[in-house]
Amino acid sequence: MSAPDRGQPAVGASGAPPARSPAGTSVSEQLQHALDRISRVRGVRGSMWVAAEDGIPVAQLLMEGVKGKAVAALAASLARKVSGAAAATGSGRVRFVQMEAAGGTLLVAPAAQDLLIVALADSRVNVGLARLEMIRAAEAALP
Amino acid sequence: MPDDIRSLSDALARDPRSLVYVDLAEALRRRGQREEALQVALQGLTRHPMHADGHDCLARIYADLGDLERARLAWSKALEIVPDHLGSLRGVAFLLFRQGDLRAAESALMKLLARSPGDDGAQRALAVVRAGGAPAAEPAPRAARRRTEPRILAALRPEVFHGFDRATDDILLLDQRGLVLAGGLTEADGKDASELAAAALAGVSGEAARTAEYLGLGSWSAIVAEAESSNLVVAPVGDGALLLVRRDRSIAVGLALRFAERARGIALAWLQGQGA
Repeated sequence: MSAPDRGQPAVGASGAPPARSPAGTSVSEQLQHALDRISRVRGVRGSMWVAAEDGIPVAQLLMEGVKGKAVAALAASLARKVSGAAAATGSGRVRFVQMEAAGGTLLVAPAAQDLLIVALADSRVNVGLARLEMIRAAEAALP
Repeated sequence: MPDDIRSLSDALARDPRSLVYVDLAEALRRRGQREEALQVALQGLTRHPMHADGHDCLARIYADLGDLERARLAWSKALEIVPDHLGSLRGVAFLLFRQGDLRAAESALMKLLARSPGDDGAQRALAVVRAGGAPAAEPAPRAARRRTEPRILAALRPEVFHGFDRATDDILLLDQRGLVLAGGLTEADGKDASELAAAALAGVSGEAARTAEYLGLGSWSAIVAEAESSNLVVAPVGDGALLLVRRDRSIAVGLALRFAERARGIALAWLQGQGA
């Protein structure tokens, strides 16, 4: 697993002191901590926080060879389409999306502040565990 | 060019007076090449103006194009030529219902059943029309029609998912252009949401294919979306068709996936039987 992409601006890292949660951890630390937990699940090749609106990565933890920008853009676009279809079926707001393919799985969980948590995994992934970690992160209150 | 269309085109080229033009037009229609299908059907009918199957095929093409008046005229012409033409009786019943004339729709369905008593779809459609409390001479009030329409539309669609739980309320089969092929989807108030959902889902299919390709994941096999009130499973079926299964949130995702897999197998077999 490669180090988090330092080229991407982390939330709260803009020159001013990073925003801190009541527990005393910065927002970017919280985001990275969530990615750490998700990426420890067997089969996960990378996880990231993505701006839902424009598909830009906010923070990421990826294995070598995973194209972060492409994953972010495609996951955001897919999530938008699936949300539209869910609305058309009267199913309400989408909480979790899983796209299964022959060579792996893409997981997306919408979170607060117009963010998505995205995970790319190979076919050995324990989807149930990854889902739990992602939904837990998505539901964790962001300041 | 697909093999079936190529061989039908060749057969028609060898013998332009052949009635194979109907098969060719129908094959083109099913593949979504409606303008080409229309040209083939119209051309064939100039040679065979009294060919009921040709007028029936033309009517279905017009119905696909949304030109219901021309569809009605074409089915009427077919029934002038062959009063017992089953496809045209079914088509007319569908149109009459869409126009709100439940009494005439009932009459057309009874005529259809008199000629084809084993037509399950017509039997179900008739039951729905009668349960809808059709007034004797006037079009159904809008509210009554709105309650009844989803059920009769579903009943008139091919009975692909017979035996499945909520087969015409929660299972939808559509083609790659977002047109409904079978099944149905209804909203909580009973309103038919099939066409809207099908149109929205066509975009999902394209996006999934693009995502899987760019990320080197191979072909995609399913999308599961957990939403506030229900879980959705979307899966590709054969060459371009798409299946949607909606299950209540209380049903485990794994069970919804198994259910969808069974429905997908049925849909695939049905599509193959259609030559699709």
